Amino acid sequence: MTNREMKKEKETITNRERYQRTFSALHASGKDVMEVTTMKQRGKIRIGKLATACMAFILVLGLTSAAYAADIGGIRRNIQLWIHGDQTDAVIEIENGQYSLTYEDEDGTVQQQSGGGIAFDWKGKERPLTEEEILEELNSPDVQYEEDGSIWVYYFDQKIEITDKFDDQGVCYVQLKNGKDTLYMTVKYQNGYATSPHSYPSPRSFN
Amino acid sequence: MRLPVAIVFQKYGDRLFAAAFSICRNQMDADDAVQETLIKYNTLELDYADESHIKAWLLRVVINRAKDISSSFWRKNKVAWEEYGETLHFEEPEDSRLFEAVMRLPKKYRIVIHLFYYEDYTIREIADVLRQREGTIKSQLSRGRKLLKKMLMEEWNDDE
Repeated sequence: MTNREMKKEKETITNRERYQRTFSALHASGKDVMEVTTMKQRGKIRIGKLATACMAFILVLGLTSAAYAADIGGIRRNIQLWIHGDQTDAVIEIENGQYSLTYEDEDGTVQQQSGGGIAFDWKGKERPLTEEEILEELNSPDVQYEEDGSIWVYYFDQKIEITDKFDDQGVCYVQLKNGKDTLYMTVKYQNGYATSPHSYPSPRSFN
Repeated sequence: MRLPVAIVFQKYGDRLFAAAFSICRNQMDADDAVQETLIKYNTLELDYADESHIKAWLLRVVINRAKDISSSFWRKNKVAWEEYGETLHFEEPEDSRLFEAVMRLPKKYRIVIHLFYYEDYTIREIADVLRQREGTIKSQLSRGRKLLKKMLMEEWNDDE
């Protein structure tokens, strides 16, 4: 293309064409959802939806339990498991994105749970969850609605009652601490929750 | 109709990001807004009339989310848009100047200009996405154009 032709092309390009060419240089990162902890949505209701739709990852986890990893090292790990509001020792084994949990229930009976998951980026590439991701998921907070009407948040070794902390709109804001890390959690009564390390997620942003 | 979220991202991810960025002026915040929008799309399982309906819904949600994020007291992602702009590969030098000029516009003009020029939306469609009156949009578009013309001079035509 000659200089004259180039000059003419510049003269004839419209504002819209130039604008579209300029802003087509911007691209969403498309980063793996698991790498982003800014917003994570999970809950009794939500797990099923995530599992079927595979947005973040499929997680097959006992819905009445929350766990936190207490021992790091090797594929077989000792963890603490929240079962019906009580902390219980358990062993977790992880391999190829699958895990199995073994623990004794309150009657002394050995119980087993297993599950696993996959992660995939927004471009559709699939892979099994890594050991770190499974443990990260186990370490994320969980909300439990008990039969007596009380509502609890379980996070690492903490058990926080939030029954009376909901506002008129049925929304509760909880600040969770783990060492130096702070997590801001917004809970909608019987309607899921979201967390962020930066600020309380807007109730409008989920469910 | 519905599209799988992976397809939605392929088709609209960059558009949503560009719209969010025009509000947040921050890469990480814009990425967060896109991600949260896709999570919402995925979990709400709404039924859409057609693809243009999906696109309009996504744009409305990502714009609202970007507004929430950018006005949050707790906002922590404060990398300047200038730094992000330096990482972009523009085809022509004047593209970089247009990007800079748009980023210097007031927020309320940026998103209107973006929807008009990038998404090719009419004033009525922009009013619908932003839930504002057509007169307001028309006025903001006009003021935004004048500011762009003032900053870019001969690089910005009087073609619309």
